[in-house]
Amino acid sequence: MSIPSIALRARGASFRAWPIVAALLLIGGLACAAPAADAQAPAAAQPTAAQPAAAQPADAQPAEAAASAPPEEFRSLDTDVQDLKKEVLDLNKDLFVLEEELLFPANTQVAVYVSMDVGTFFNLDSVILKIDDKEVANYLYTAREAEALVKGGVHRIFIGNLKVGPHELVAFFTGKGPHERDYKRGATLKFDKGVGAKYLELKISDRIRKQQPEFIIKEWE
Amino acid sequence: MRLRWVNRLPALRLIVFLLATTIAVALPSSAATRLKGRPAPDFVLKSLSGENVRLSEFRGQVVMINFWSSWAGPSRMEMPRLEKISTTYGGNGFVLLGVNIDDTADSAASFARAYGISYPVLLDLHKSVARGYAVETLPVTVLIDRGGNVRFVHQDYRVGAENTYVAEIRALLRE
Repeated sequence: MSIPSIALRARGASFRAWPIVAALLLIGGLACAAPAADAQAPAAAQPTAAQPAAAQPADAQPAEAAASAPPEEFRSLDTDVQDLKKEVLDLNKDLFVLEEELLFPANTQVAVYVSMDVGTFFNLDSVILKIDDKEVANYLYTAREAEALVKGGVHRIFIGNLKVGPHELVAFFTGKGPHERDYKRGATLKFDKGVGAKYLELKISDRIRKQQPEFIIKEWE
Repeated sequence: MRLRWVNRLPALRLIVFLLATTIAVALPSSAATRLKGRPAPDFVLKSLSGENVRLSEFRGQVVMINFWSSWAGPSRMEMPRLEKISTTYGGNGFVLLGVNIDDTADSAASFARAYGISYPVLLDLHKSVARGYAVETLPVTVLIDRGGNVRFVHQDYRVGAENTYVAEIRALLRE
């Protein structure tokens, strides 16, 4: 490689680097200007912060107070800041409402739980869950899981999203009923989905009078 | 320009050959064997005896899952040998689960009765579990370690494969 070619390359490099250097200078200039602007802002805010301090001696010496009263431009700045604060609060309120309506934790909108109370008349085998005629869950319970439910455990069988409005939930319970007979029962609940999470409980309990199991769908607020 | 292409042809041929070889080697391992070293997909199935069986409830034990069907010849050859393995190692931290993928439970039940199968036979009537384990041929035997990870996968059955199964089971039980 000869010396002229290196020089040419160096020139080429310097020529190509021009826009980058210019951009870097511009960014550097902006970066320097930003702290300066920030520094100005506190400087402007200082008089407003010092205002109460200045107001105390104003009661004692009105003449001095008149002399040390904040200038008109600072007052207008203060009102501007107050207006801005109010706008921010309003915006925050609007965002909160939006969050409630649209961005409310989507994965916890509707949750269905299965629980058992006593369970002497029913040995749970499976639960099929339908919401608005669409099967959303089909769960087979092992002996251990059924035992855990009898001991007070709660199983979340479904979690999903539903539109705001009326819905219908149908649950089919299969298992062994009294005298070890195959048992299949259904339970239905019509509910209104509002804004916010909805919790439903499929409760299996014993109806001692009839010596039969009972299936209830409970709505939690 | 043309000459350059001619010069590059051997290199291109080599690249094409290497690609083809890689694809050919990768294809057979793309099915069930791809699960090796990964957590075994959990499932719950109804057994012939009527109980629901969940794989994750056997965590802490060495589990062998054998996908089989009554119409698959190798399954018929393999199952009596699997029964022997189950009776030998069952209860010592080893569980054998047979997953039947027949369309009806009756055929699985009659087959299991005829062959005197004592280990749990699970019914995968919808083939959902078989799909989860990428079962393409039958039988497929999957060995899962105590931690719930797939360690060995065997496709098809050849006479003498049970010796490999036993060696692998013993190795996993020792871990």
